[in-house]
Amino acid sequence: MVVRGGGMGHTLAFENITKYFPGVRALDHVSFSAYGGQVLAFLGENGAGKSTLLKILNGDYQPDEGRYLIDGEEVHFDNPHQAILNGVSIIYQERQILFHLSVAENIYLGRMPSNRFGVINKRLANEKAQAIIDDFGLPIKPTTLVKDLSIAYQQMVEIMKAYSRDNLRVICFDEPTASLSESEIESLFRIIGKLREEGKIVIYVSHRMSEIRAITDCVAIFKDGQYVATVPTESTSEQTMIRMMVGRDLGDIYRNLDRNKQIGPVLLEVRNLASDHVQDVSFSLHEGEVLGFAGLVGAGRTETMRAIIGADKLQKGTVYLRGKAIVNHDPNQAMLSGIVMVPEDRKTQGILGNLDVADNITISLLDKHSNRFGVLDTSEEATIAQRGIEEFKIRTPSPHKKILELSGGNQQKCIVARWMATNPKVLILDEPTKGIDIGAKAEFYAMICAFAKQGIGVILVSSEMSEVLGLSDRIIVMRGRKISGELAAAEATEDKILALAMAEE
Amino acid sequence: MKAKRVSLVISGDKLILMSAIVVVFILFTFLNPNFFSRVNITNILVGASLVGIVSIGHTYLIIAGQNDLSPGSLVAFSGVLCALLVSKGVPLLPAVLLTIVAGAIVGLFNTWMVNNIRIDAFIATLVTQTIVRGFAYILCGGKPVAISNANYITFGRARFLDIPLSVWIMLLCFLFFGFVLSKTKFGRSIYAIGGNKDAARLAGLNPRKAILICYVMMGIICAIGGIIFSARMNSGQPAANVNLEFDSITAVILGGVSFTGGVGSLGGTILGVFLIQAFNTGLTMVNVPSFWQYVARGALLLFALTSDYVRKQNREKMLLEASKRQG
Repeated sequence: MVVRGGGMGHTLAFENITKYFPGVRALDHVSFSAYGGQVLAFLGENGAGKSTLLKILNGDYQPDEGRYLIDGEEVHFDNPHQAILNGVSIIYQERQILFHLSVAENIYLGRMPSNRFGVINKRLANEKAQAIIDDFGLPIKPTTLVKDLSIAYQQMVEIMKAYSRDNLRVICFDEPTASLSESEIESLFRIIGKLREEGKIVIYVSHRMSEIRAITDCVAIFKDGQYVATVPTESTSEQTMIRMMVGRDLGDIYRNLDRNKQIGPVLLEVRNLASDHVQDVSFSLHEGEVLGFAGLVGAGRTETMRAIIGADKLQKGTVYLRGKAIVNHDPNQAMLSGIVMVPEDRKTQGILGNLDVADNITISLLDKHSNRFGVLDTSEEATIAQRGIEEFKIRTPSPHKKILELSGGNQQKCIVARWMATNPKVLILDEPTKGIDIGAKAEFYAMICAFAKQGIGVILVSSEMSEVLGLSDRIIVMRGRKISGELAAAEATEDKILALAMAEE
Repeated sequence: MKAKRVSLVISGDKLILMSAIVVVFILFTFLNPNFFSRVNITNILVGASLVGIVSIGHTYLIIAGQNDLSPGSLVAFSGVLCALLVSKGVPLLPAVLLTIVAGAIVGLFNTWMVNNIRIDAFIATLVTQTIVRGFAYILCGGKPVAISNANYITFGRARFLDIPLSVWIMLLCFLFFGFVLSKTKFGRSIYAIGGNKDAARLAGLNPRKAILICYVMMGIICAIGGIIFSARMNSGQPAANVNLEFDSITAVILGGVSFTGGVGSLGGTILGVFLIQAFNTGLTMVNVPSFWQYVARGALLLFALTSDYVRKQNREKMLLEASKRQG
């Protein structure tokens, strides 16, 4: 079913868009349309294909198959700049502006009004920028340097930059509220409302149901790279939407897990930890416990973990393992003392893309698999790799396949196999299921429970609320580089976590 | 396991390289029949011996994601230093050891710039290239240092089975370092670090230490190369070996080491060395003017880099195809 908007004219149609990345089919024959005068949400889990589709729309990626049409006309952009020139803009969470230029200079970047000798007319630029600022009802000056603005206003400058083009037809927001306060979100929504009234096609990507409810007219739902359906926001229940994006009831997966019920004594204790990125972090982890870490992106969860394993320099604080103070200068020392981490970004921090599956599994045990001259025992390595492949059900045709040929979920299993082969006491999982499909997710959840049953202390850092709620025995919430609260599993709810994660400074 | 090792030794890339060597030989023999003679082939091997051992250092460094532009200067400096020490009455063995220590110190200097000041390897070692060349001239006041020590000279002329010692040293180095690269934890860690330094560190490896070992190894290799070269020349020459790193890097890339790190083997490098040495010797023998030889060498490096790029594209295409089959 197609939900039609106010009939303001602009249309955007995707036809059979397909995009492959090594290891994944990111988009699988996606076809649907969006209309001017309405705000369309993109909803789906991490890795469902929302961001990839946006990047195809603005020419950052080229589709392997398919095409898209704006106002009935097939368009093709070689790069984001071309897209902007043709009235298609994306506002990202990472601001793409030049901090040392003024508001007006940013808005008119690359097309500052100038005379016929190419001399820039700043006064005219400021006047034109002021008109847009007034239009948006913002209390900022065109001459202010962007670096002196708050994050929310920096974002507004980006929106104004897109808006200042007369031909703006499509404007997309990718998780725009990630670092905004309540009142800032309100003024963002006012401006989105204005864009809608002017008949622009507005696409809004967010994980936050309350925002989707507040600002969007329809929701396009994605699952594992496929487009599922577009539904009207108002008349569709949250349950229905989640079922559509997950494909099955997530609740069941969590309910059926074989959780560890015997939590042992304190295993890891972190006291007053501080690094360049976090301050005064203290918490403890018990044997056999799954400790969830919730919070917004940038709250300092990853940085806390990096400081614990010695990937970032510790400035202050002590880490105790079974009551004994330990010092980790680098991840190798942490591994030797029994603390290991599956890092946040699988591609850039986890896998070794140039090596095969077996080498990826055994890379952390080179010392163990070599004699005193450093010569490797290849048959022992092969045994360990094979054991890891079997134990974690890594689907690969051979241990000598390049790891990049595997799907995301199987790549991640290789990293887990790598660490489990070292017999860790503490296993830190940083966004372990990011970008992997639901089937593999369920396998990971079962694995996490199994690790806890073996007495391993598991720290689960995740931005997926359901994951943290469904798996943790205790939940620590971080905000602004500090711990803002702790919740027992029984009392934790999504609202309570969000309250701790987002409260105003 | 067996099948994997065999395919590593003679993969398609290496067959192409071998064919290229054959083509070069046929072409130059056709232009100058003396090219395919015992004397000339020995000459090519002797010429290859210096580039050869330096290319071992480059293979390690480039696989580890590094590079080194200082070998030419360091080889010249080492030759001057060793010759000077011997001429001042230092016995041969201590002189050799001191020269090796000096080479290692230059390697440490490169490591310090790359690891501690985080200068890009290319530009950091360009600094060393100039400084070390300067010291080579300063040491001897710009004039070659003659060698009169009989043992030193013999070292440059000795033959075993009628093949010069320097060639044997190169072959032994290839065997030894080839083993280290493919069969030891150090070798494996270099591939991991060159492929993804951050991930390797998070996996418990020590990239800084591995990079240090590679640069110091290169320093020592250059010192040894410089000593052998000076012995062959009967003198320490401060102006010698300009562009040595150029030939060495060309050979390494021709041999299939990826310029972006993490990929390659010494088996490919040795073929690359023979190809480039045969090519350079051939150009001289068929009387290509030396100015044009520069152009030809540049073209060869461009060719090597282009084929590196094509190989990389092919690898990526293969991965993408694999994903499509899976999806």
